[in-house]
Amino acid sequence: MTAIADILDQIPTRKSERFKFTNLPARLKKLVLEQGTLGWSDNVDILNKTAPGADKYADTALWDLNLQNTKDYRFIDGDATIDVHAQAEKWYSPYIRIHIKKGQQATVIEKQSGDSNYWKNQVVDIVLEDGAILNHIRFQDEAADGVFTNFTHVTCAKDARYNACTLTRGEGLSRNQIHAELQGSGADATINGVKLLSGKQHADTTITIEHQAPDCTSNQFIRSVLAGESRGVFQGKVHVHQIAQKTDGYQLSNALLLSDLAEMDTKPELEIYADDVKCSHGATTGQLDEEPLFYMQARGIPRAAARMLLIQAFLAEIVDKIGDESVKPEAEQAIEEWLHAHAGA
Amino acid sequence: MSILEIKNLHASVDGTDILKGIDLVIEPGKVHAIMGPNGSGKSTLAYVLAGREDYEITDGDILFNGESILELAPEERAAAGLFLAFQYPVEIPGVQMTTFLKTALNAIRKEQGQEELDAIGFLKLMKSTCEKLGINEDMMKRPVNVGFSGGEKKRNEALQMAMLEPKFAVLDETDSGLDIDALKVVANGVNAMRSPERSFLVITHYQRLLDYIEPDTVHVLAQGKIMKTGGPELARELEEKGYAEFLSEAA
Repeated sequence: MTAIADILDQIPTRKSERFKFTNLPARLKKLVLEQGTLGWSDNVDILNKTAPGADKYADTALWDLNLQNTKDYRFIDGDATIDVHAQAEKWYSPYIRIHIKKGQQATVIEKQSGDSNYWKNQVVDIVLEDGAILNHIRFQDEAADGVFTNFTHVTCAKDARYNACTLTRGEGLSRNQIHAELQGSGADATINGVKLLSGKQHADTTITIEHQAPDCTSNQFIRSVLAGESRGVFQGKVHVHQIAQKTDGYQLSNALLLSDLAEMDTKPELEIYADDVKCSHGATTGQLDEEPLFYMQARGIPRAAARMLLIQAFLAEIVDKIGDESVKPEAEQAIEEWLHAHAGA
Repeated sequence: MSILEIKNLHASVDGTDILKGIDLVIEPGKVHAIMGPNGSGKSTLAYVLAGREDYEITDGDILFNGESILELAPEERAAAGLFLAFQYPVEIPGVQMTTFLKTALNAIRKEQGQEELDAIGFLKLMKSTCEKLGINEDMMKRPVNVGFSGGEKKRNEALQMAMLEPKFAVLDETDSGLDIDALKVVANGVNAMRSPERSFLVITHYQRLLDYIEPDTVHVLAQGKIMKTGGPELARELEEKGYAEFLSEAA
């Protein structure tokens, strides 16, 4: 069994461009952890131990670290709900492979949580064949001294659709890195997120979308609400290769700061080599508008309730985009609970 | 007892004095109109009554049903029975009209010790109120004021007033940006609500609205003060002569 101290030198530091806003070694150094297991299957050999796209990306260290230490494997080819719950003082390297066959549709729900202090360094390796559709919803609810790093890689063949939404609440530190390769024409990647941050929570979402074929579309919609001394990070990159004509790529991060001590860092990037594309990006960070608050108050709605209505409206657009209707009530409930706890005053 | 009593009210915004000593008493069942030129403080008075935070009350008091409301939050004033029909109703994307109105109505009912309405009870009341005012119910399925025309926004204000049944309503330039049909809908809404217990303060620049909502008393507000008070004939007089007299007097 490997103790965390033995692998600290393999963990990316802030010198790495894509870890500029997230100091992972500083957080992990404070934890004394032993390697643990989730009790998933362990007698599997991953044939290709290289991170997909390692040649393109300089930041696949966490993927590599996972594969050197994996003890828990899951293979999924249809609807599934996966509970990834960490015990205190353990670190894990869960490896999830999702393969959706030609023309099939599936919903995969991940529930991430844990007790006290831990580190989950997860890899999700997704292959979508022609016309396959995957709705991938992740609920993150980590503990205060928990660290969750996730590396999702997805390849979309012709007309495949990857529709992901991560809802982050809880505490602790999370780093959610997603690479999508649109390899066949007509493919779509929609990678959305709702972040509800409080206390000293830190939540980093880093997305790279590779448009490698013509007529593909991609969307990134991230809405964040930050309370306390929390910090949100959004780095989104759309890379349009020369062959990927008629690309439609869109990314937008909107953040609401409920506290003067909260911080949001955004870095949207476009890298375009094709000449006939439609790409745009934007980012806003602000506070709740006083005008609608006063209007609602003047109608008798208490200020706290008015704030909640405005924030719910802000987040509802993302919940609406979740591809599987049956998951929406759970997302709405999670949002409502969080708002009652953190957005009242 | 009067519904509203304003005593020597002084208010400023960002250090500039806007209201410079307003005295006004409104008895139950009465409709008062305040007319005045642009920049005279009409809208400031409306906002100050509703409890908007941007204004500082530097002197005087506002009594509502005999009690000072200066320390009350806007929602507490609404629960006490005060309503402001906005000159520029605010758009709230993502919040549906029905959610907004049901939340408001039940918040007020709760504060007043009445039972909250369930979904069915609320929809029934909303439907009958829409019918009474000649408002298309489809408006209630849209987000609050989003994409509403100027006329729709003002009808919406009238509808909210009818639903919330205030004891006292301030109409801030409700006639601005209205065509004659919408003006009639709004005026009919107000007239239908006139009763011996309920009072109105109608703020307007023009006499036109007062052809439809006939006031008991008309005041002229200029330079942050009430310059003249009279009966309905004062409104017609102002329409003819304009406000020049009050501007030059103070200058």
